[in-house]
Amino acid sequence: MIEILSVVLQIAGAFFYFAGTLGLLRFPDVYSRLHALAKADNLGLGCVLIGLALQAESVAVALKLLLIWPLALAASAGVSYAIARRADSLGVVPWCKEKH
Amino acid sequence: MIPGLILRCLLFAVLWWVLAEGHIDDLWLGVVAVMTATWASAVLMPPVAHRLRLIKMPGFVLFFLRNSIRGGFQVAMMALRGRAALQPGVLELQLNLPEGGPRVLMTSVIGLMPGTLSVELAEDRLRVHVLDERLSLAAEVGELEARISALFGVGL
Amino acid sequence: MTGFELPIALFLLCNLIVALLAAARGPTAADRMLMALLFGSTGTGVLVLLAYSGVGRMLVDVALLLALLAAIGGIAFARRAWQRGHDD
Repeated sequence: MIEILSVVLQIAGAFFYFAGTLGLLRFPDVYSRLHALAKADNLGLGCVLIGLALQAESVAVALKLLLIWPLALAASAGVSYAIARRADSLGVVPWCKEKH
Repeated sequence: MIPGLILRCLLFAVLWWVLAEGHIDDLWLGVVAVMTATWASAVLMPPVAHRLRLIKMPGFVLFFLRNSIRGGFQVAMMALRGRAALQPGVLELQLNLPEGGPRVLMTSVIGLMPGTLSVELAEDRLRVHVLDERLSLAAEVGELEARISALFGVGL
Repeated sequence: MTGFELPIALFLLCNLIVALLAAARGPTAADRMLMALLFGSTGTGVLVLLAYSGVGRMLVDVALLLALLAAIGGIAFARRAWQRGHDD
């Protein structure tokens, strides 16, 4: 039972990573690509980590896996703000629908 | 000051226990590491003005988890539909949170909430890029702000 | 270990390669900075999956360290952006 749940979560994680990459390829500008990577990839990582933590043999081992998630979130939050800020100061204009 | 340090010491001890995967055979190393970490945190980051209220922490974490899952799901669906699903825009928000930690946390967390991404924080003005300006995000941003102010124990 | 870890790790690796190439292509310098994000999230995902695929659990520590470095890097990045204020 736990094994099935673990596999389901891993596959769900893979799906969100895939969606993040898809967003990177399909979205029109750096701002919307940042949305895709920061949100979808982190959800993917969260699913994978929980899926693997279900297989852990002790609470400490499971927590060690889950500890990775807040670190990755902090990284994404910091880096995505820095990139958006940089893009803005470089004069990258957000893509908007009306013009196209 | 002292209760704060004891709390930090406890947190570092739990962290050590997790990193050592529950093994306690090299306990002396853990004691040294925990003590050093507590000392370093006291020197580098003395207890500050905006102290987190730990009692509000679980509620904030749940709120954050719920919304970041929603955000990931939403952006994944948009990625599947391609750029036709997007109607990006830029919102300009007036932050009522005090300077420092609370504003920084707000700016960072917005990037992981559904449909929003911080572009620039200048004084108390925050410019936010939104994926779909048809969604009413003002209420959600307002709730996040209220949660953060409660977390830091400051009024808006 | 369920047997799914290795295929999923490989799938993520393909994702990472495609995303890196897309980010490297640009068009702006800001797009290329997206590569920094990819290593933090996809890189750690690949490592933990490999760790549980039977390669060796020590890869969890590697993933943890990579996430920690990414977090420190991310915070340092963002702090520079905050401290610069309006001047750029």
